[in-house]
Amino acid sequence: MNGVAELLRHPALWRGGDAGAPETVPTGFRALDACLPGGGWPLATLIELLVPAAGIGEIRLLLPALRRLTTAAGEQPRWVAWLAPPHLPYAPALADAGLDPARMLVVRPRAGSDRLWAMEQALRSGACAAVLGWTGAADDTALRRLKLAAEEGRTPAFLLRPATHRGDGSPAALRLALVARDFGLDVEILKSRGGAPARVERLPVH
Amino acid sequence: MFEPRPAPMVPAAGSRRHALVPVPAPRTPAAPAMGELWLAAHFSRLPLDALLPGTGQARAAVVTAPEDPRRTVVACNERAARQGITPGMGLNAALARVPGLRVEPRQPAAEAALLDRLGRWALQFTPVVSLEPPSAMLAEVRGSLDLFGGAMVLLRRALAGLSANGLTASLALAPTPRAALWLARAELAMTVTRADALPGLASRLPLACLHWPEETVTALAGLGIRNVAELLRLPRAGFAARFGPRLLDELDEGLGRRPAPRRRYVVPERFDESFDLPVAAESVDVIEPALELGLARLETFLRVRASGIRGLRVDLLHRGQAPTRVVLSLARMAGDASQLRALLRERLGRCRLDTPVVALRLRSGVLLPLVIRDAGLFERGRSSDPEATAQLLDLLRARLGHDAVFSVLQVAEHRPERAFRIAEPGGMAGLPLPWPAPHPARPLWMLAEPQPLDDWEGALVTGPERIETGWWDGHDVRRDYYVARSRAGVRLWIFRERPPGQGWFLHGVFG
Repeated sequence: MNGVAELLRHPALWRGGDAGAPETVPTGFRALDACLPGGGWPLATLIELLVPAAGIGEIRLLLPALRRLTTAAGEQPRWVAWLAPPHLPYAPALADAGLDPARMLVVRPRAGSDRLWAMEQALRSGACAAVLGWTGAADDTALRRLKLAAEEGRTPAFLLRPATHRGDGSPAALRLALVARDFGLDVEILKSRGGAPARVERLPVH
Repeated sequence: MFEPRPAPMVPAAGSRRHALVPVPAPRTPAAPAMGELWLAAHFSRLPLDALLPGTGQARAAVVTAPEDPRRTVVACNERAARQGITPGMGLNAALARVPGLRVEPRQPAAEAALLDRLGRWALQFTPVVSLEPPSAMLAEVRGSLDLFGGAMVLLRRALAGLSANGLTASLALAPTPRAALWLARAELAMTVTRADALPGLASRLPLACLHWPEETVTALAGLGIRNVAELLRLPRAGFAARFGPRLLDELDEGLGRRPAPRRRYVVPERFDESFDLPVAAESVDVIEPALELGLARLETFLRVRASGIRGLRVDLLHRGQAPTRVVLSLARMAGDASQLRALLRERLGRCRLDTPVVALRLRSGVLLPLVIRDAGLFERGRSSDPEATAQLLDLLRARLGHDAVFSVLQVAEHRPERAFRIAEPGGMAGLPLPWPAPHPARPLWMLAEPQPLDDWEGALVTGPERIETGWWDGHDVRRDYYVARSRAGVRLWIFRERPPGQGWFLHGVFG
């Protein structure tokens, strides 16, 4: 029975009965899945993660989902776009995490204004399994454009922003604030379309 | 058996090699004029000419085979030859003779490009040109003899044209393409118009001019065979059994006993058209209609040829000034204008026009056959679509620059800063690497350079992991790595040099 449930959760599986319900991919953390509508990260929309300092575990939080999204059975691994990451993604660590480093598309625009443009193109193309973008200030229109591009390209967009933007309004379908605590991660769900605000403590992101 | 005396044979219609039947040679004097006449040009210094145009006569220069441990000389210029250097010599021997020798590694791509240019040049003599890579070219010139005023005039013109371009060539004329090649390679500047004259020349053709595998030539030399005449005296069946039927066929082709169809050289087709603007344009917006027209024409051009392109050059022509040039090179072949239009808008939008534009010129790259793919119903945004990826890559690079978009690859290396490299996206289907040994966790973020941590106040979580390696290439690493946690809760990868004392360095962040 367990195997069937596992199969049904596979992102490559498309079920007619799903129409209407939000398509999701499990986060890989049971406690977090329980708080999210559809039981995972919503696909094809904008997800905003507010991070007080780069490196507290925000990527480790996304790794299980990225692994699932990139490796559909019997297919070539799909691309993950990294737009304006704070440092260079390290190939050996990606490989250890089960991601194919050669399938990472790293984009480092020189001008800050090109970041959101590039992220929008990556989302709209539908060529990537997921798009990760880093940005600071962003106006409401730019974020709305990202969300539309994510819906159009049917690609999840993970936007990582400093926690100082917590007070800003955002069109994101899901908005989380992350805090490091005791070798784990506290996740506060600020906004969740079709769900309710919640708080998950000490997620074991290792 | 090979015939000891010339006795031309032609294959019976629809027959195979074994069914060759001897027929009497045509005696009518008009007959030879009907047959083919092939001009062969062999460029013994092509590897050198491709790299140093104008032959570089000022200094002795050689081109060497890079993958060969002896670095054998494959070609040398006149000056090097005069100082005793010959092709086939090891680089050490050559340097011993000429210490100031200029040495270039061989570049096959440059040689192929030069041969391609030569093929284009040869089309002025005849429409039937065929390339014989790596270093020879053939042209069927029977029909052109009258036009040029005879074989001698034609040869003289060809030689003059080649030497004006600084190329050294050996030319020969023969009734079969292969025989012409043999003569040219043997540097016998000869004109042979009748196939039945060929066996008589065989004693002047060394085995080397056949360009056969080295072990075959060595084996034949072991049998005491030094030239083609001696080769022709061998029994046919025995020769075929020992060296294979393919080489026997080659000999038959050379002597005109067997037809040898050749692939014709065709000039690659391109789209190249100019469009005048009704009024001189001061801004990029104004040229839009002309660009639209150009792209529409290009699209039609491609559609009727069922072709696509990987490159497009757009020149904005000014009056009395060099054109403003925009060059697109695509990761994916484009067969319609929509993709090109988006990329051109992106590039032209950033063009600054100092002088008015009077015309546009669109010149495509070489045409490539277009493979049409059906778009699956459920495919979009679901499978790894190489088309969509390549299109995205082109779009990002058109605006951000080529180097702003890349991928990373793992490298089997213990030194953390060398265990990866920047790579072209999609170049390698990521192969799982045999990692040297199970290793502790690595950080997801790597700093470009280790950063000194001045007053480190975090907590060490795990470690040390000792990495001591690289002593053999002078970039040795002697470090103790720890996983640490900063006060802000960030997991860090830090190290201390060994022996300790120099303080801590930050090398990665776990993300």
